[in-house]
Amino acid sequence: MKYLKLVILLILISLTGCRIDYDIEEVATPEYLGEIHEHDNVHAETEDNHEHVTDETEVCPVCGDIHDQEHVNEHDSTTISASSRHVHDAGERNHGTEWFFNQPWAAKFIWGKMIRDSIILIILAVAILLASRFRLRKKR
Amino acid sequence: MKPVMTFALMTLRNLLRRRTIWGISIVILLALFGLGQIPGYGISNEGRFILDFGLFGLEIGALLLAIGLAANIYPRDKEQKTVMPLIAVPLSRGQYLMGRFIGAAMVQAAAMLVGCIGLMVILLMNGLNIPVDLFPATCLLLVEGWFLLAVVFFFSFWTSPPLNAPLTVLLFILSQMSVSGFINILPGAQGFMRFLRLLLPHMDVFHIKDPIAHGVGIPGIYFLLAALYGLAYMAFMLSLALAVFRSRDLK
Repeated sequence: MKYLKLVILLILISLTGCRIDYDIEEVATPEYLGEIHEHDNVHAETEDNHEHVTDETEVCPVCGDIHDQEHVNEHDSTTISASSRHVHDAGERNHGTEWFFNQPWAAKFIWGKMIRDSIILIILAVAILLASRFRLRKKR
Repeated sequence: MKPVMTFALMTLRNLLRRRTIWGISIVILLALFGLGQIPGYGISNEGRFILDFGLFGLEIGALLLAIGLAANIYPRDKEQKTVMPLIAVPLSRGQYLMGRFIGAAMVQAAAMLVGCIGLMVILLMNGLNIPVDLFPATCLLLVEGWFLLAVVFFFSFWTSPPLNAPLTVLLFILSQMSVSGFINILPGAQGFMRFLRLLLPHMDVFHIKDPIAHGVGIPGIYFLLAALYGLAYMAFMLSLALAVFRSRDLK
């Protein structure tokens, strides 16, 4: 029994799941995280372009006509919303919804780890049961 | 198995006679009813808030039920000396634990089902649709509740009753934290904190209220995986509880 316990302990220690815990961001593949970074870059570029256009020309970004300064100021709030606030398609992963898609139900790559953890926990439960039964019999 | 089920049904009847379970169930239903009474102020997607807070209420209810149901079972049996004759002849210690656990788990399942139906009624009363995944989401919260029930049993064999509830609540809070968040509590001892976090479950596995509230579909296989994960943790905690119980001298 002593040796069995030792063998179980060695097997468990050798399994990385018994030594390493993880956050979803830590174990995410570069492709998974890359989706956001690429997307962010695209947005940065489009924002730069947008500012560039409004600086060089006097064209109102809202209605497309040429106006005097006062009228442009009237549109300031909408100008900001048009350039810095951008709209994404609903239900898609982006820099704003990163937290949403970093939950276990959405991060498919950790489902395998959930199965691994479950198997390790069941092995541990059986090992503890056997060890405690052995101790109880020894006591009697 | 028959002695365990007989004992579980006995436990079920005992628990239903107590006022605690009724008190907690009424509090959950009142909270859900109060949630349904909050005016929408014309906000679109009002249903999201009701669903999100409703499922959060059910999760807190599962925690309260676990503590209310199981924290006093073993200490009371020990104090009234009913545990000795039970263990002496008809039941082994393992059967005693399983009987008590299954009885409490059945009560918790019934209470969660009532909570889920209550949430559905509130959604209907507010003219909102009931999401398809609401029932599976409640089942996952129930699995989380069973895990917490196993934790309460473990603490009831190991510590005194007044310590049981705070320790369970502490474990519940710490299990909600991410690994990095947990390490940041004590950044000087990263390895130790990582090891401690390793022993705790990732409770976010059971949280699917966000996708449900936003109408995002969840793959069916995920429910099975999350349930397996929760049941494995429950088995682990029960085995630890039994190991502690077997080492206890009841004389």
